[in-house]
Amino acid sequence: MSKASSYGRKNLVISILFTALVFFLSIKLDPYNQGQLSVALMFFIGILSIVLLTGASGQISLGQGALMAVGGFAAALGILNLGLSIWFAIALAVFAALLAGLLLGIAAARLSGPYLAGTTLVIALAIPSLATRFESVFGGDVGLTIDFGNPPAWLTSLMGEVGYEQWQLLATLPFATLALFFTSNILNSRTGRSWRALRDNEVAASLAGMKISETKIFVFVISSGFAGLAGVLYGLRGIVGPSVYPISLSLLLLTGAVLGGIRSILGALIGALLVVFLPDLIEWASGSFSPSEQIANYLPAMISSILLILTVVLNPGGIAHGLHHKKSHH
Amino acid sequence: MLEIKDLVTEYGSVKALNGISLVAHEGKITTVIGANGAGKSTLLRTISALEHPRSGSITWKNKSIVGLSPEKIVRLGIAHVPEGHAVISQLSVEENIEMGALFRMRSNKADVRLAIQEIYQLFPRLEERKKQLAGSLSGGERQMLAISRALVSRPSLLLLDEPSLGLAPLVVEQIIQTVNDLCRNTGLTVLLVEQNANTALGVADHGILLSLGTVAADLPAAQMKADVALRAAYLGY
Amino acid sequence: MDIFLSAIFAGTSRGAIYALAALGLVLVWRGAGVVNFAQMGQAMFSTYIASTLIAQNYSYWVAFVVALVSGGLLGALVDLLVMRPLNRKRSSSALDSPAMRSTIPVIASLGILGVLQAAAGMIWAAEERGFPTPVNSLGLVINGKIMPFTAFDLFVIGIVFVTLVATTYFFKGTGMGLAMRASALNPEVARLSGIRIGFVRTLSWVISGVASSLAGLLVTPSANLSPYTLDLILIIGFTAAVVGGLDSLLGSVIGGFALGLLVSFVNVYDAPEDIFLAILIVLLTVLIIRPQGILGSKEVRRV
Repeated sequence: MSKASSYGRKNLVISILFTALVFFLSIKLDPYNQGQLSVALMFFIGILSIVLLTGASGQISLGQGALMAVGGFAAALGILNLGLSIWFAIALAVFAALLAGLLLGIAAARLSGPYLAGTTLVIALAIPSLATRFESVFGGDVGLTIDFGNPPAWLTSLMGEVGYEQWQLLATLPFATLALFFTSNILNSRTGRSWRALRDNEVAASLAGMKISETKIFVFVISSGFAGLAGVLYGLRGIVGPSVYPISLSLLLLTGAVLGGIRSILGALIGALLVVFLPDLIEWASGSFSPSEQIANYLPAMISSILLILTVVLNPGGIAHGLHHKKSHH
Repeated sequence: MLEIKDLVTEYGSVKALNGISLVAHEGKITTVIGANGAGKSTLLRTISALEHPRSGSITWKNKSIVGLSPEKIVRLGIAHVPEGHAVISQLSVEENIEMGALFRMRSNKADVRLAIQEIYQLFPRLEERKKQLAGSLSGGERQMLAISRALVSRPSLLLLDEPSLGLAPLVVEQIIQTVNDLCRNTGLTVLLVEQNANTALGVADHGILLSLGTVAADLPAAQMKADVALRAAYLGY
Repeated sequence: MDIFLSAIFAGTSRGAIYALAALGLVLVWRGAGVVNFAQMGQAMFSTYIASTLIAQNYSYWVAFVVALVSGGLLGALVDLLVMRPLNRKRSSSALDSPAMRSTIPVIASLGILGVLQAAAGMIWAAEERGFPTPVNSLGLVINGKIMPFTAFDLFVIGIVFVTLVATTYFFKGTGMGLAMRASALNPEVARLSGIRIGFVRTLSWVISGVASSLAGLLVTPSANLSPYTLDLILIIGFTAAVVGGLDSLLGSVIGGFALGLLVSFVNVYDAPEDIFLAILIVLLTVLIIRPQGILGSKEVRRV
């Protein structure tokens, strides 16, 4: 009991520190990097959905982008047709994604490994194509336009001028903190332990009385909620449409999750920062070489793919695993 | 002669074999007995190179075989029948047997045919079912098939891991007797791992008792069978 | 009636391509126990090589053979550089659990796909290229109407059947085929039988590489070449392989033609936007009602 509450206190402290750090950065960074950091926070939430699903319970999904699209479209429809505020729209998006996760989980609970990977890949293609199918509702190839709007008056009176990118970052921050807090609590709880038991030995877990299918579906639902939240925030940057949630988005999130460490919350944060800032980093590092545009365009994809392969072959636990490892040895 | 000296094999930080030394003489049955977790299976898996030893030596016919791959070791005439009726259930009976001879199919096709014929004489039931999937066989038939897969490579040393596991006493009797006949008639060397000490010591020439990764006793089989105190201490009966 | 006929024809020629892609997937699955999501990336890469040769005035057939050889080489490289170190590592890795064991090769193959696509982009830019056919591609004429079915389509279907017969014979009728099935089904027993599973696995990557570059060469005349065009074929090929039964060569060909007809009918009678939805519905239906596929054996779903 006391152990659990000490975990809870530790999580609370970490969450507060995280918030303070990002808040500090939101004041210090230029608008471009404020925007980039806000995208990294959205990806952080999205990657947490993979940490829960793949890292904790061992199920792979290449379709998290589709669930993000569900969240984005639900919010856009709420805002444009029902006149919801973005906060209610975000709640609606999470609810819609939870529902989609339930359906997906029911179908996916009996699949594993390559079957699950392939099926979720097809889902990642099929869901955004619905937008073009029902053009009048979902806005076709172009999509629907929504945004974070203007910062509220109390914020500007408190902080002075708040730019759009800064507001985007500040509006995303509480959700990232919430996701961080929620994930670390669930992973340290009984529930989290039962997921890991499922991942490590399905047969033993079922012999110990765990209801395998129901647990798998439950993980899918929770994970989808995170993906939906990431999706609506990602869409609020301006547009919700099939081009915003392409299949490459799903693969990018998976890459971030694996690079950072698929079993770790810290890894999720590292991975998110890495995939978002990698292109900037490469541009900065290759500045003196000035490669041709053709090469420069594909350099980030090339490097992140190579890193992905190296990670699974040499250090499948990702960067975070390496960090923990060092810590426990010294 | 198979000679093992000071063999240590670890799983992570657990020493499954902690300095084992033993000898299996040519043309004889040597049985390795001991309780669950004594390291019996690890011993066989280390000989056939499925596990890598931490230290120690394994020599077969005066040549060291440590560091070779399992594929290579089969070619030296050492065949391992692992625990649990290890056949490939999605392949047919015929294919399972053939599989054991693939590596010498090209060099000696005629002898492979002959070896398969001999196996069907040894286990006529396998010939009757040669087109069936191995998964459809009974437990005893599967064990026969697993042994056949090993025999078709014409080994001079057979490593047999718990052939009696999960089988009816009558079937166990038949399988052990077949192995005994092979040994007496063809000069095959057998290293037989068994939990069922009575049956194993009944046919073996020599007995080795393992306990927690070390050799607790190394005696002629008849003497070990008669030693009630030893069995009570290590096997509990 | 004409519309119906043309849908049948279009579906059959598409189906032949999907069948080849599915065959490539099944070959690696049966030989190495991996579903290779990088497969059509390898095909794309070798097709670009062929296209470069043709642009430099080499004959189609020279380019064709070079592409098949480089497809095989790429397959071998994927195995030697990525999959084999991965296999060696997996037994001692921190992420070792049955669920992760089947998941990690999938992630690795996605990384390979990314590398190949980026490399193709760097070398050949993202420009879309056309690709020639070896035989004429004028439509067949029935009742005075031109049907979407050409001598080239016949050629493709012919190749599919030759490949099917050859690979089926290889698996069922040769010792190497038996060694390949054994190593994928139970590596430990295969090794104890003296089978060199490392070599056997690499060989299956080579064969599958050749089969998929064949698919790449044959689909490109109708789809233009770019680093990403063949992704679609992979996804449909995967569905075809699952529908047919992931371990059955004949099943994957049947699955391929079935998917071809499905795509064609959705295209003609409904709307192209619905293709992925239709594929998803078919995939889920098969996985729920008959998870082992049309011709797959039950035990193959051991993952």
